[in-house]
Amino acid sequence: MDRFFKNLKDQLAGLAPQQPSPEEQLRDQQWAEALSRGALPQFVHQRLADTAAGKVPWISTLRPAELALARSQGIHPLGLVSGTCWFHFGYSWTHGHREGWDLTLSRLAQEARSLGANAVVDVTLKTSRNLGQVDSMDFMAVGTAVRVDGLAPAEEVPIASVPALEFVRLLDLGVLPVGLAVGASYEWLTDWSGRAAGQMTWWNQEAGQLSHFARSVQLRAIEGMRQDAARQGNGVLGSTQFSELLCFEGGEDNPNRYLARHIAVGTAILDGSRTARPSPVGSLGVRPVLDLEDTSPLQRDALQQEPL
Amino acid sequence: MSDQLPAAALERLANLRQSGQHGGIFTSDLTVNEFLLVREVGFEPVGLVLGSCIYHVGIQYGSWSRNQELTVLSEAMYQARELAMARMRQEAQACHADGIVGVRLEVKALEWDKDLLEFMAIGTAVVHREGKEGFKGLQGQPFTSDLSGQDFWTLLQSGYRPLEMVMGSCVYHVAHQGVMRSLGNIGRNVEITQFSQALYDARELAMERMQKEALGAGAEGVTGVVVHERNHNWQPHVIEFFAIGTAVLPIAGDISPALAHPQVVLSVNG
Repeated sequence: MDRFFKNLKDQLAGLAPQQPSPEEQLRDQQWAEALSRGALPQFVHQRLADTAAGKVPWISTLRPAELALARSQGIHPLGLVSGTCWFHFGYSWTHGHREGWDLTLSRLAQEARSLGANAVVDVTLKTSRNLGQVDSMDFMAVGTAVRVDGLAPAEEVPIASVPALEFVRLLDLGVLPVGLAVGASYEWLTDWSGRAAGQMTWWNQEAGQLSHFARSVQLRAIEGMRQDAARQGNGVLGSTQFSELLCFEGGEDNPNRYLARHIAVGTAILDGSRTARPSPVGSLGVRPVLDLEDTSPLQRDALQQEPL
Repeated sequence: MSDQLPAAALERLANLRQSGQHGGIFTSDLTVNEFLLVREVGFEPVGLVLGSCIYHVGIQYGSWSRNQELTVLSEAMYQARELAMARMRQEAQACHADGIVGVRLEVKALEWDKDLLEFMAIGTAVVHREGKEGFKGLQGQPFTSDLSGQDFWTLLQSGYRPLEMVMGSCVYHVAHQGVMRSLGNIGRNVEITQFSQALYDARELAMERMQKEALGAGAEGVTGVVVHERNHNWQPHVIEFFAIGTAVLPIAGDISPALAHPQVVLSVNG
């Protein structure tokens, strides 16, 4: 019975919004103050510094196979780093995407510097609209800050979306991953003629105007990524594309409007870099091996429900 | 209820292969490769172990215009997972296992009641074939890890052993934007720092907690960390950040020669 009343009391207490404790308020202020000057709060840096000094256990997105590289290839995990930025697109979706990612990645780089890292590997990028907002979204990046033996410290910590193993492989071949290259583009098309999606015919044909329109948007995004990569290095690897073509029906008097948008993200590399480690490998030796990677239909994930 | 395993569970476990004895049947959800690798490092699968609980997650509201953690929910999410894990560990202990590999932790919202969540932990209990000591987790309990069979092999070969799955949870209420501020943003490209701050803080808290738990377990590090971000059927502005990974500890002895100079391969499989 006592337990019942205690539970009831807890429940009722939950109904009224809880007042933040003084610590929570202080934490809140520190965040607001730090973000407003483009920095991160002291306690974040403190946790990272403690991690780097070995006072608390390191945390890492790397799997055991990648950890094994710490000994054989000289790549040491220091800690998990992340960055986030919720960005509102007012006048330009394209610029919004650029700035959103730039801010996110600059925060991630700050965390990496705080750990004393000389590279960040295994960076995954995610966006979310969890809060039901239409004209804004969250940009989030998570990766593992590492110290690579023999990699000269750079002013800007290279951020790579490739896993640790591939990072080392590239270094050994004289290629330095330098950062992420992002390109984004969007455009509206108003279908005055009503024929953008093709004329009403019985035969197969290209929807000329629409097809040309979508293509031009895609190409512009890829060109944006190229220019971004050119600032940092001389190539892009592993680029992923996100493309959308939406139709907004105009109704009786108004023409249909189409929205095309495209984002391209990849890892920028500097080929033939002098800062890369001297190559112990030289060239690729191709040899047949038995791979223990699971592609079996028995694999657990195949049947797995939605994860956490 | 959490102290005792149900009779059906005990009966099931009694029919499994026990440590040191080769009779009996083992159950597992290992793939062929995983099975072979687990045996390669001297372990045998004992049985599929699981723990589950259906948890009534209490009610808590955040202030409309304030960023804040909903501690009642954070605790509920953590405790429910801990309960499912503890039950799974108990099953493993009942069949004298050294530990559990390939643990998956799932959360399901139940259709008919949005305050009820089902938590399930499932994995394969393993035991050292020759009864070698020194692989147990905290306080002589079986270790838990979400590592696959391949990961388990590699981890042991590289001189580490899994200790415990560590986790950190933070349920956060993200402040709604005031009308005046929303109007102020029209036509401008700006960061909504209020939102950024909330998500950043929530993730930071979840990771902080996970790291603290690893420190308490005396781990050297945490491998394979994943940070999940989810809204479990809650109001739109409530988000859970959940960090999980396997805490590891170095084992005495040298790294195996196989991994001292691994052959790096380029897969042509694409």
